[in-house]
Amino acid sequence: MSPAFKKALNDLRVNPGRTLLAVCALTIGLWGVGAILVSYFILKNDLNENYLRTTPHHVALTSGDFARLDLAAFRQRPEIESAEFRDFSFLRIEVSPDQWLPLWLFGVSDFGKFDLARIYHEEGPATPPRGAVLLERNGQLVSSLRTGSLARVRAGGKLLQVPVAGIVFDPAQAPSTQDAFLYAYTDKATYSAISGEPVDRRLILRLKHAANKQEIEAATNAIVADLRNQGIVVGSINIPKPNQHPHQFQLNTLLAFQGSIGLLAFLMGAVLVSQLIGAILAQQVRQIGVLKAIGATRGKVLGIYLLMVLMLGAMASVIAIPLAVVSGYGFAGFVAKILNFDILTRTLPLSLYAGLIGCGLLLPVLFALPALLRGSRIPVRQALSDYGLGADPVHSLSIAGNMLSFSIRLALRNVLRRRNRLAATVATIALGVAIFNAGFNVRQSLLDFLEESKRAMRYDVQLVLKNSIPHEQALAPFSGIDNVQHIETWNGGRGRLQSSVVSTGNGIGIVALPRDTALVRMDVVQGRWLRDSGELEIVMNQMAADDFGEPVELGKQYRIDLNGRPAQVRLVGIVKEFDAAKIYIDKAQYDEYANPERRINSLMFVANDRSYERVVKLKRDIERRVAETDLDVFYVMSQAERAKIIYDHLDIILTLFMLLSSLVLMIGALGMAVATSTNILERTREIGVMRAIGATPKIVYRLFEAEGAMVSMTGISLGLLLSLPLSFYAAKFFGTLILGHNVSLNFAFSHAGFAATLAITLVFGWLASRIPARKAVSISNREALSYE
Amino acid sequence: MIQLSGITKIFSGSSGNFTALDNITLQFDKGSFVAVVGKSGSGKSTLLNMLTGIDRPDKGTVVINGIQVHKLGESRLATWRGANIGIVFQFFQLIPTLTIRENLLLAMDFVAAISKQERLNRANALLELVGIAMHADKFPSALSGGEQQRAAIARALANDPPILVADEPTGNLDSRNASAIHALFRQLVEAGKTVIVVTHEEVSSAGYDRVVTLRDGRLAGDERKAA
Repeated sequence: MSPAFKKALNDLRVNPGRTLLAVCALTIGLWGVGAILVSYFILKNDLNENYLRTTPHHVALTSGDFARLDLAAFRQRPEIESAEFRDFSFLRIEVSPDQWLPLWLFGVSDFGKFDLARIYHEEGPATPPRGAVLLERNGQLVSSLRTGSLARVRAGGKLLQVPVAGIVFDPAQAPSTQDAFLYAYTDKATYSAISGEPVDRRLILRLKHAANKQEIEAATNAIVADLRNQGIVVGSINIPKPNQHPHQFQLNTLLAFQGSIGLLAFLMGAVLVSQLIGAILAQQVRQIGVLKAIGATRGKVLGIYLLMVLMLGAMASVIAIPLAVVSGYGFAGFVAKILNFDILTRTLPLSLYAGLIGCGLLLPVLFALPALLRGSRIPVRQALSDYGLGADPVHSLSIAGNMLSFSIRLALRNVLRRRNRLAATVATIALGVAIFNAGFNVRQSLLDFLEESKRAMRYDVQLVLKNSIPHEQALAPFSGIDNVQHIETWNGGRGRLQSSVVSTGNGIGIVALPRDTALVRMDVVQGRWLRDSGELEIVMNQMAADDFGEPVELGKQYRIDLNGRPAQVRLVGIVKEFDAAKIYIDKAQYDEYANPERRINSLMFVANDRSYERVVKLKRDIERRVAETDLDVFYVMSQAERAKIIYDHLDIILTLFMLLSSLVLMIGALGMAVATSTNILERTREIGVMRAIGATPKIVYRLFEAEGAMVSMTGISLGLLLSLPLSFYAAKFFGTLILGHNVSLNFAFSHAGFAATLAITLVFGWLASRIPARKAVSISNREALSYE
Repeated sequence: MIQLSGITKIFSGSSGNFTALDNITLQFDKGSFVAVVGKSGSGKSTLLNMLTGIDRPDKGTVVINGIQVHKLGESRLATWRGANIGIVFQFFQLIPTLTIRENLLLAMDFVAAISKQERLNRANALLELVGIAMHADKFPSALSGGEQQRAAIARALANDPPILVADEPTGNLDSRNASAIHALFRQLVEAGKTVIVVTHEEVSSAGYDRVVTLRDGRLAGDERKAA
């Protein structure tokens, strides 16, 4: 072992406290960045890979004429990769006594052979016995249904008892926990028996060489035209976002957030490492002088300390990389559980490990390099005359300082001795505090949005029928029901919005409601809400605007398909809503134009007593009334449930916000601890002198504590200020990611978050100065005075 | 041969300029044992810094064995210094995290003037020479002041430099150890080394071949021992 290597090693060994601090700082930084990298790698790949491995369909066509289709011949078409009938019906299933959720029942052609839209067998028989269904696994988390359960299913007014034969996994569906839908799969005959629907009405197909939505649309149009020539009239066309899981937006938000926090953690880690190495070098200035005096060139000095940093990096890597891999997998697993997909990445690529090791070894070197270059550049004379007393005191403070107590003045002057370090420390703390507090504020923005969503819809329970029926027929079952103030009726359906060149692909939800309804107060982000005018007007939500595919223009006329009738409508406003694409239209206009029989399909119940318990009871009463009729209900949902669905979608993002913000705060606190420790290390001899001239340990302790308090208070104050613009832009950024169409979340100030940030950061700041201050007190006079 | 010609060094500070050396011209012969004496602030340590290349003059030249030391770049200067000048500091300045032997090996490692095979034997021989071979594997903190200074002398000799410069080498030692160190220097001079000792103590010219006295940065005396 060369003496230079040995010196580097021994320097670390003889200062175990300092080495531990350095390794801790590097480990936390590397752990954080590494865990983010690992989970980013897994998540970026796995959700979509889960989805793509099902060989998802590109298009779903429905028609009552498919009996005329020669499926074998259709599959031979050059553009078709695979095609099969996969019927599905919206039913309802009882998830717990008197609690019903929508059920998507799929009729599968062959459970033994999935060329398309594959599902994975998990429990029970792979093929359900006649009369039974297989339940999608995520449904177990929102229901008491398990293998062997007898599920109560409502289909077209019938109540059926359906055995659950087993569990399957369908990665292509939105998770039941998030969307409050259950999915079940059965053979065609059972499907028909349960749903009462004929089979072979829905054809799903996958195209060859279709890279994007435009290509899929073009191919689909040609297929639909050919089918029409064969006498098959296609009723609806559904083109999901190609090769994209329905919840990819959540993951994109998470990944964007992870990426930005990762970058910040990385930068803060850089400051930390740089400070730490600067501190080590500050301690070794005289030794550097001696090394140079006995013949070491600048390169050799640099080499010794680079070696030391490499060793620190290696030690941190040994601890941090396994932690990063485990916690990266842990976090990815947490996200996978929430979004109902499997972690497919069993082994990480060598390149990722190489990257992590590279980060662990080289990044500390890179970040330490400025400090190392500075240290190795110190002239011999200056190095040999270094007494570790730091920079010149600050004279400019003398006037203001005279008004302060001596210890405070001394602490203030000490704090200002190393101004670059002070700036770096304050910046690190400020950044940590700013991000932590911004995390709370963005969380508050999301919660406010949730509250807004609740306030926007002022009904208590919504009942949606599968088909429009006469007004009186829909209302009759609910007459005299307890705790109902009034019931408003709406209508709607699915339509297509079309400009001269593009149209919405999958049928946008049309909601026909009284324009002056008191039940809707949505946040209009552009234009205005519906009002009485001489022409057909619409308002759309931002998802519909996004779905359109080209920028929508307020005031412009569009062609819309209303209940099968084309109409010219004027777009007057865009509303912000966390929901699927929807278009709102005045019910009176809708009825006049497309619904002369004034049929309705939605009943909006407003309760007299709107307390949670009474609304839950009202919903139960409604369900009971439904059970006594043959109403074909799509779903019955209370506002609380709707809010929960939205909250569940946002919860994962909120959780991540807080987790990662905490990580950044921890790095900030560590930066503070490093800076205080560095101060103490550099001033060991000074501590000795102070104690020799009569300073008690208590005075020394208070001095360092006061210094720490000054630095942390400055950092915290700046951080809290900085968090305001940061929260504003973060709310804008994540709002756009979550809601789309440049719709931002409103800036919100979390009072609880502010108090928590203040409390936590003050405690962190206090600990970060207290622990090193205690160390300063524990140094003996002899040690301090003989300190080199 | 060491030739200092017209050396002037001025330090600037908040209280104005301070002339540490004022037009000093000196020549030291090979194999001489020289004491540079003077009170605190007389300029003796600055002179030592000029000799070793630790600092550069504002005016004048430093030529040692034909090399214009003041013109060397930082890296060349470090290597040159390691090979040509052994420095002994008042506070020994051994690397505390290396053993005594490793301190010597480190100096040899930096300069690479001694082949790798020879380094260990040479370190042991030097420690034997200064009388602390039994402490070779100890860390500096385990040695007494006198022993540490011997170790520092051994390290200064590691690369077999022709010149040894010692800054207050006995300032921290008791009289018995101080005498022993002085005797060791004399022994080195007899072996052909040039030894220059900087001290604030009154020294007898009998102990040295030459005593140079500085006062306020100027040459105040230059006493040579009669041949």
